[in-house]
Amino acid sequence: MKIRGRRIVPGHAAGDVLASPVPFSFVGGADPVAGKILDPSTGVADERLAGRIFAFPHGKGSTVGSYVIYGLAKREVGPAGIVNASAEGIVAVGAILAGIPMVDRIDTAGLRTGDRIVLDGARGTVELPDVRATPVVTAVLRNRGRILIVRRSEKVGSFRGRWSAISGHLEGREDPKARAVQEVREETGLRRLAFRAAGAPILARHDETVYVVHPFLFDVASRRVRLDWENVEHRWVRPGEELDRLQTVPRLKDVVASVLR
Amino acid sequence: MQILLALGGLSEAKRLVPITSAHVSGASYKMIGDSGLEFLEDFARDARVAVPTTVNPLGTDLAQWKELGIPPDFAEKQARIARAYATMGVRPSFSCTPYLIGVRPGLGEHVAWAESNAVCFANSVLGARTNREGGPSALAASIVGATPEDGLHTDEGRKPTIVVHVTTKPRGLDFSLIGLVAGERVGEGLPYFRGFRGTEEDQKWLGAALASSGSCGMYHLDGVTPEARRAPTRGLPSMTITRRDLVAAKRSYTDGNEADVIALGSPQLSEHEVREIAHRVERTPPRIPVWVFTSRTVRDANLEAVGIIERHGGRVLADTCLEVTLLEHRFGTVATPSGKGAYYLPSLCKQKVILDDIERLLERYA
Repeated sequence: MKIRGRRIVPGHAAGDVLASPVPFSFVGGADPVAGKILDPSTGVADERLAGRIFAFPHGKGSTVGSYVIYGLAKREVGPAGIVNASAEGIVAVGAILAGIPMVDRIDTAGLRTGDRIVLDGARGTVELPDVRATPVVTAVLRNRGRILIVRRSEKVGSFRGRWSAISGHLEGREDPKARAVQEVREETGLRRLAFRAAGAPILARHDETVYVVHPFLFDVASRRVRLDWENVEHRWVRPGEELDRLQTVPRLKDVVASVLR
Repeated sequence: MQILLALGGLSEAKRLVPITSAHVSGASYKMIGDSGLEFLEDFARDARVAVPTTVNPLGTDLAQWKELGIPPDFAEKQARIARAYATMGVRPSFSCTPYLIGVRPGLGEHVAWAESNAVCFANSVLGARTNREGGPSALAASIVGATPEDGLHTDEGRKPTIVVHVTTKPRGLDFSLIGLVAGERVGEGLPYFRGFRGTEEDQKWLGAALASSGSCGMYHLDGVTPEARRAPTRGLPSMTITRRDLVAAKRSYTDGNEADVIALGSPQLSEHEVREIAHRVERTPPRIPVWVFTSRTVRDANLEAVGIIERHGGRVLADTCLEVTLLEHRFGTVATPSGKGAYYLPSLCKQKVILDDIERLLERYA
């Protein structure tokens, strides 16, 4: 699987992923001499950074963190590469000072500690050779503050009976947005769509498959939905808590949040 | 240069804008530790600043560290940090108030300042333009002489996001309290204050507190700050701060019972403030030490006031400031009238805090 993000620091790096699900502060979060993770909230405390590609949502804390990253690299105990969902100044500056290849706009929640990964800083891409990617589109339809969710039928290939937004597989080199519009027409009968936003791909992990979800937001003029065979039930809900109470496809809430921001 | 381009890229700035001064943070050994020292010494081998640059306070007064009981290893490393900055051509100001020691960029002038209180003062009171830089980015800007043109460098980024009505007439400590309360609620926004006035000195305390409890880099004060008149406020959300809010803030930032020291700084005191403290101390001699933090420039120019404070058991410390210095090895509870100090002392110096007006503190500990 190869995903495109954004170039922060050029350079190549390959290794295993060390993944933290939470934002990371290099000040206090990493031992500056030994190059070990200290912060227990990362779930990877005591792991070494050396030779790993360190993936976390974004940096936080004191700007002294830049200097810590520099020092780690100088002592050769720093990470081989850095992947962020959204880079901020502390980590980006540290990676530049340290010469550590770095890419952002990658959904780090889809990466797992131990995944093999190849990072190309100049192109802004990461590749996970052992992980199979299934590209899909998800269209969040909005009408007067509510969004449409549908329950998947027993005839579809995956996640039967779960709640989802309108979605479908992306074939070949097809344009994701055009596919999303097509899926909306087929699955809801709605034709008057106003495109509002496209989110960065969300990586929804399910066993050894990663669904690379391209999220889109459309405003629709009507709530009159005509379902096809793929779904059996629909609801217009408020985004937020209501999604928590339902059995949904993986990461539906994140997909919705990514375009409603 | 690479740093600035990368940072500009993150915020999608279109270009770099030349700056007339820089102010860097990250000089206290207590704050930046061995990682910072190591980087600065490496960097100082060939980096030289391109514009006049000042630097934040150190972790101790370089002249009085022995009397203060600072460990020699700490003092030695602190001196090395100071030397590294000097080698790069940075003016050894060791002050968080560059605007009190002659660095006063004018209306519309672009600068790259770190140190949140100085950023707030430069943008709001002087009408200069700077983002809230971090230590490394301000240092990069000082060397290149430019910074990404985004955020508070642009007209768009200086528009208020919320109107804050203050319904009480503030004096003294109240300016810090307004800052703390507004910062908590405004977060990253840009407040437009209405309902009160304040001198530059008052605004120093307001901005420092606002930039501590919030991530604000600027505010407007109706009828006072230079860009307030043109700032669009129509249709903005609004909030109100009453006397009751200020009383509650004072209470919530106070967790100590008996103070070991009265500490005045954060930000460093002005010449006028140092003299006023000397006057007050002479009138109401305190039974616990009064520590005053100011710049070397101000201390050297006011030796008479310094003498008075020190004769009454206090200390006037230069090169350093309240929460970046070592207090934790001597004290457990600090009384201070600084909102910024009250915000940071518990975490950075492991102190309990009594937040109150200086008059009241001197009366209480007379």
